[in-house]
Amino acid sequence: MFNSKIFIPRAAIIENVQKLTYDTKLYRLKFKYNCKCDRSSESDYKPGQFVQVSVLGAGEAPISICSSPAQNGCFELCVRNVGLVTGALAALKKGDELGIRGPYGNSFPIEELRGQNLIFIAGGIGLAPLRSAIKYVIDNRGDYGKVTILYGARTKEDIVFASELDQWPRQENFGVFTTIDEPQDGWTGNVGVVTTLIDKIKNQSKVKAFVCGPPIMIHFTIKELLDAAWAQQDIITTLERHMKCGVGKCGHCYIGGKYVCTDGPVFTYAQINEMEVEV
Amino acid sequence: METLFINDIKPLLDAVAKQMDLYVPKKSGDYYVFSRYEKEGDKGFEFNNIRTCTPIKEFLLPVCEMAATTPGPFEAKDIKPFAVFGLKDCDLRSIAILDKVFAEEEFKDPFYAARREKMFIISSDCSDPAESCFCNLFDGRPFAESGFDLNVSQAADGFIVEAGSEKGKDFVKKYSQLFTTVPKAVMAERDERRARAQKQLQENNAELAFDRSVKEIVEGSWESEVFDAEAKNCIECQACTRICPTCHCFYLYDTKQKDYFAKMKMWDSCMRMAYAAVAGGANPNKVLGDRLKHRLMHKFVYFLDRYGMNMCVGCGRCVDADAGGMDLREILKKLSQEHKGEGKKKARVAK
Repeated sequence: MFNSKIFIPRAAIIENVQKLTYDTKLYRLKFKYNCKCDRSSESDYKPGQFVQVSVLGAGEAPISICSSPAQNGCFELCVRNVGLVTGALAALKKGDELGIRGPYGNSFPIEELRGQNLIFIAGGIGLAPLRSAIKYVIDNRGDYGKVTILYGARTKEDIVFASELDQWPRQENFGVFTTIDEPQDGWTGNVGVVTTLIDKIKNQSKVKAFVCGPPIMIHFTIKELLDAAWAQQDIITTLERHMKCGVGKCGHCYIGGKYVCTDGPVFTYAQINEMEVEV
Repeated sequence: METLFINDIKPLLDAVAKQMDLYVPKKSGDYYVFSRYEKEGDKGFEFNNIRTCTPIKEFLLPVCEMAATTPGPFEAKDIKPFAVFGLKDCDLRSIAILDKVFAEEEFKDPFYAARREKMFIISSDCSDPAESCFCNLFDGRPFAESGFDLNVSQAADGFIVEAGSEKGKDFVKKYSQLFTTVPKAVMAERDERRARAQKQLQENNAELAFDRSVKEIVEGSWESEVFDAEAKNCIECQACTRICPTCHCFYLYDTKQKDYFAKMKMWDSCMRMAYAAVAGGANPNKVLGDRLKHRLMHKFVYFLDRYGMNMCVGCGRCVDADAGGMDLREILKKLSQEHKGEGKKKARVAK
């Protein structure tokens, strides 16, 4: 755990801010102090976990860590400006201070999948949490088989991590397919929602598929995967809920008997069905 | 358990108040509320034969408190010992429920844990349960047998005092001159009073004798329309969750003061419209009936699965407090009559 006291955030400094799109930025963070009680390093998390980011005086928001724990000395958060806290966050610059609590939640079952092929399907900023797992796979490339990434964005201006989406296919045995919802001038790639790319993976129904994105995208992607013979437990997704404490007490993210913050945010579709959550 | 007798309750309260802040029940309108006991000549104190109107959680989880400051540190060091007199069995069971969440898990709440440790609990028998009390539905009784430091049972000409913990035993040892041995007749009188109160509860709640457990009733009602229908009586005052001794949802928010920033912790209510709304506008619990269903599922299904106990003690405070006239007992009755088949959700075993 980055912070030793549950309600007290640990101070972190913004090392770098990179603008990814018109409303989304990538923040690289480093802890301000390493003291006796808060000693854990910036790499002490697992892909899929999130942190509660506090902007002093504004509030806290749960944000997925989008870097790989193999990266030492810093971690990264990808944040879209949509609300009160993320708006305050967007105004911060290199060198500014943030509060971090966490990392919280379970993680993608990436360790158990060594030796296997993997599929990642992302919509919009849903690529951020998956990027943590994708980068982890790249960092341990010899341990994993074929990787296929399907990514959909509304417009070409909404594509996050565009340069990485260009670079990833240079890895051996790595397929990346990107699409945008509507045709646009200067776009020569696929057009249509991300489910139109599912044809590219139809013959891989035994491969675990990680799905992350806005609720409507998750809904239709899961439907298509089930139609294409994926088993419920082979579809892995994340749930998003209003969160306050992050440690299974405050009640806000309680759904179907599970705390999204401690029992999730990563669930298989089989678990989500059991919880009777509609996605 | 050590059982002693005392003629008058005042010397006992004075002895406690000598050591720490003491809170005792006082009448406010038709109900009892807790109020600070003044050492000399306190006039407001009244021995409560039923639970107070306000829940005991207000002592352990204040309505609003500071949880962290920047610059720090801000820690739970300054919490002083305090005592509360007049808690009932339902109150003690509600503390056991809150303990599960805030004091026994991997992530302890340091403020709750400190207050819990510093709290001296003096419970007393309920000789006159209210019409709204239904603790017997959840194996509760109008008297406590554990979970207290001291327990007081009223008799015709005195009080029986029991010590239920090391702290309690130390106390009666220190003030042994206050106590005498219990006359046999008084002991019999206590048993009789207890039996009478228990009978009264059973008679009041004869209609709540269900053929299945409350968990089975609620869990089987996933598709029920009763929630939407009952929610029509709800005016979203949130009194039910605020006054409930076991509801513990809280909100965290940040404030900016003159020379520091603070993270505040405040009671919240799952019946509130924006309770689950996320940035960007999505709200998975927009419908009031769904929020009511969630409240019941949490109390009678989810909490039981997670911690092995119901998150309701049957104190009936929500029944007394509800401004719209919603009654938990009526909802349970309707659910039990409506659907007797297997629920959509399969029964799960407690951890």
